[in-house]
Amino acid sequence: MGPLYKFGWFDFVYSLQLAGLIGFMFGFVLERAGFGNPRKLTAMFYLKDFAVLKVMFTAIVVCMLGLLYFSVFGWIELEKVYLLPTFIWPQIAGGLVLGIGFVMGGYCPTTSVVATVSGKLDGLIFLVGMIIGSVFFAEVYPVVEGFYTSCDMGAIRLTDVFSIHSGIIAFVICLLAVGVYWFVEKVEEKFGDKDTLPKMSPKVKRTAAGILILLGLVLAVVNPDQIIARPAVSETQPEKRVESVQKPAASSETPDATGFKIVDDEGC
Amino acid sequence: MFERITKKGGCMKERYSNPYVIGVILGLILLFTFYTMGRGVGSSASFARIGTAGVNLVAPEHAKANGYFSTYLQGGKSPLMAWLVFLTLGAALGGLFSAFISNRIKGEVARGPSIGVSIRLWLALSGGILSGFAARLARGCTSGQALTGAAEMAFGSWVFMLCIFVGAYATAYFFKKEWL
Repeated sequence: MGPLYKFGWFDFVYSLQLAGLIGFMFGFVLERAGFGNPRKLTAMFYLKDFAVLKVMFTAIVVCMLGLLYFSVFGWIELEKVYLLPTFIWPQIAGGLVLGIGFVMGGYCPTTSVVATVSGKLDGLIFLVGMIIGSVFFAEVYPVVEGFYTSCDMGAIRLTDVFSIHSGIIAFVICLLAVGVYWFVEKVEEKFGDKDTLPKMSPKVKRTAAGILILLGLVLAVVNPDQIIARPAVSETQPEKRVESVQKPAASSETPDATGFKIVDDEGC
Repeated sequence: MFERITKKGGCMKERYSNPYVIGVILGLILLFTFYTMGRGVGSSASFARIGTAGVNLVAPEHAKANGYFSTYLQGGKSPLMAWLVFLTLGAALGGLFSAFISNRIKGEVARGPSIGVSIRLWLALSGGILSGFAARLARGCTSGQALTGAAEMAFGSWVFMLCIFVGAYATAYFFKKEWL
């Protein structure tokens, strides 16, 4: 039953090693997609290449479906997964400024790391800029604190805002994804460079879109929220969990028994 | 296949992996992160932590007195002993490995063909400062807030993601010369 860390399967030191591994895979796929190249990243804003949008949206949909299916199967307890709180106006302002920083500097935080290691001096400069920006934020924190902590809506999800169960939201997001892919590919066809755009047969595209919509539809019918709410589903394997607890918890930084304390920056 | 057609940095003719395939893999990596750690990925906090470590080294009293720095200095640990810092280090290695096997490591200043090096670097610095500030204000960046939160259907993350695109599209015109 996941999340493994919050059930004490491993300690803090091991989680740092895992962070290195996850980071390695993360950086690897970002570079594969060409996200170490700011011209590739910003091409989206000039309607030429929507790779950024495709990668982000696909990753979101896949992970979202995965989380919901995992919870339906009883493999993960979503309540123990840290949910980012909503502070709506600071997030709107931050999003707008980050967007400007993106098109001005050519990167977003993670991609600048990938660019730096592939030898791009501008990536390194952007990275230095981010450190300066973060320090500047801390220095003016007394001034911005009021705004930063305003509009606290708590850890709410789209399901709370629209009062619809997460299966239907997932289905709508799947439909939205297929619609967005179709739309941006039309735009790419018009403005983009055909030599560099990915080639995929229409048959593969149709099949993938069909699978996506089907997975969403199943969730909409199944209603994961209802199943998660029912405690009978939590058929965990106790023998397995005992095994894991036997791992020596050498570090003093294992999550304490009092619960799963949220570290201040657990979100990002 | 890896020839560079433009003389300026940041080649536009390079062929990269299919974005949908990458998206699926990235989604699975994110799912693995949720399953094992109960949290998502992120990176912008690493830079805030590096900044905090720097300030803490130069002026520890000042850092401790500051309401924001002090959150990273709790428990007397180094601000760098954090999960996201290790994730970012891993991302650097992963990116390096990928660039290495595709022969894409090249010292350059990536930019469009009609812009000079120095102005590009100034814009990179300014964009970085804006991004660093904005990421702190929004409690996360494209990966920590938009990607992670959106997969969990967090309301603020979807709004945040939309705002990134609004901000970028609204100002893209002014940076046309930098990229095209």
